[in-house]
Amino acid sequence: MASSGKFASLMRSYGRLTIFLIPIGVAVNFVGGQIALLLKLPIYLDSIGTILVGAICGGLPGALVGLLSNAINSITSPPTFGFAILNIAFGLLAGYFGRLGFFRVWWKALLTSIPFAFIGGFFGALITIWIFGGLAVGGGAIVVGALTAMGMDLSTANFVAQIPMDILDKVPTVLIVYLIIKGIPKRLLVKLPLGWVYLGKPNPRAARPAEASAPIA
Amino acid sequence: MSVAPLNTIADGYRRVASLGNPILDLSPITLLLSIILVIVVAVVGSGWVAPVVVSVVFVGIAYLAGRGTRYLINILKLWLVVGLLLFVLRALLVKGETVLIPLGPIAVTAEGVDEGLRFSTMVMAICGGVTLFFALVPMRHLTLALERLGVSPRASFVVLASFQSITDLGATARVVLDAQKARGIETEGNVFVRAKAFFPILAPVFLTALAATEERAIALDARAFNSRGPKTSLIQLRPTPAWEWIIVAVCALVAATAIYGGVVGWL
Repeated sequence: MASSGKFASLMRSYGRLTIFLIPIGVAVNFVGGQIALLLKLPIYLDSIGTILVGAICGGLPGALVGLLSNAINSITSPPTFGFAILNIAFGLLAGYFGRLGFFRVWWKALLTSIPFAFIGGFFGALITIWIFGGLAVGGGAIVVGALTAMGMDLSTANFVAQIPMDILDKVPTVLIVYLIIKGIPKRLLVKLPLGWVYLGKPNPRAARPAEASAPIA
Repeated sequence: MSVAPLNTIADGYRRVASLGNPILDLSPITLLLSIILVIVVAVVGSGWVAPVVVSVVFVGIAYLAGRGTRYLINILKLWLVVGLLLFVLRALLVKGETVLIPLGPIAVTAEGVDEGLRFSTMVMAICGGVTLFFALVPMRHLTLALERLGVSPRASFVVLASFQSITDLGATARVVLDAQKARGIETEGNVFVRAKAFFPILAPVFLTALAATEERAIALDARAFNSRGPKTSLIQLRPTPAWEWIIVAVCALVAATAIYGGVVGWL
């Protein structure tokens, strides 16, 4: 595969710690979902790892976390893979917002929940309509079914059911990401690709293009 | 430990990796191709017969491989949870002319039942193929086979480490949960009380893992993880014999026939 060499060098440009953080991000996605189940919370909280890694390492690592999480999930529940693109988008978007410093201040972090929920809800509903003909699996399907039975048209029912559910999910998600980033010790932040954002430093790569290689791991 | 068992363990790595069953020893790549081609048959065949036959074939393969019972339990769960829901919702909601059972504002129609059967069995055949593949192929064999095709060993590491991290962090999460309970965090009560317990459990799990990455980076560096030379591997995969490619060719032929049949209209 010709892309693998390019991919490897691209990953290397993110620094050495990133490659170790991707598996942790995947695991945080899973553990977050499990804790939410354990505490019987009515939300998924299964994209914390994606957004977290996106916010501290950058868009591409975040997207990889999202892709891998959905791929691993689809081993036991294959329909999940249809929604992988959402998780990838979460990662990319988190990298973008992270770079702009949105996760430094709590209310800015809170603002990012709107685009995340929009992607999750709106595009999630679109995928449900395109791939599964409007009736996918999961808790939402029953709500959608009930709304349709009440005379709402199938597409509208999907949007009506999904968007509020996603806002409920993404608001705590981004707040947790913000709090976790606040808890990362400075000596580790220095080594993360986007650590400079949270340390309030200028972008080291922009300042010294000659040393554009990765931060020292 | 005496010398004899150590030798048997070492010998296990001197030979080509074998799981002791001809189906389990199939190359991950040829198995993957074959399963994809069989799924194609289920997807292009109209009606619910082709997907059901394909699903039964998958179960048969799992039994031949000696993983039948576990696979059957998993796949039956999927049929019950996902398949049944897909079917019922479609049967109820797809509008049609022939009403079978009127239920107030909605009705079960013949068209809905047809469409439901078709769609749910098709999705289930795809699910069956995916779960079969992962039931038969150990993840390390798959990543090793992909490395042989030129995928970066880093990709293998990320995938394998992800599985390991899910187990590890899950274990840490349980420890942290117990510790925080002991310190008086409430995990029962109304939604807000329970939601407040979420952060104190997840944050230490992540921060511990983050702190450990440094050590891991050093440990892997010491094992030449970042060296660019060719890598050796503890496991040796069997070279793919020609007959495995013949199986793939046969599956391709069946799939091509099914596609042709679907176009001409006898399926």
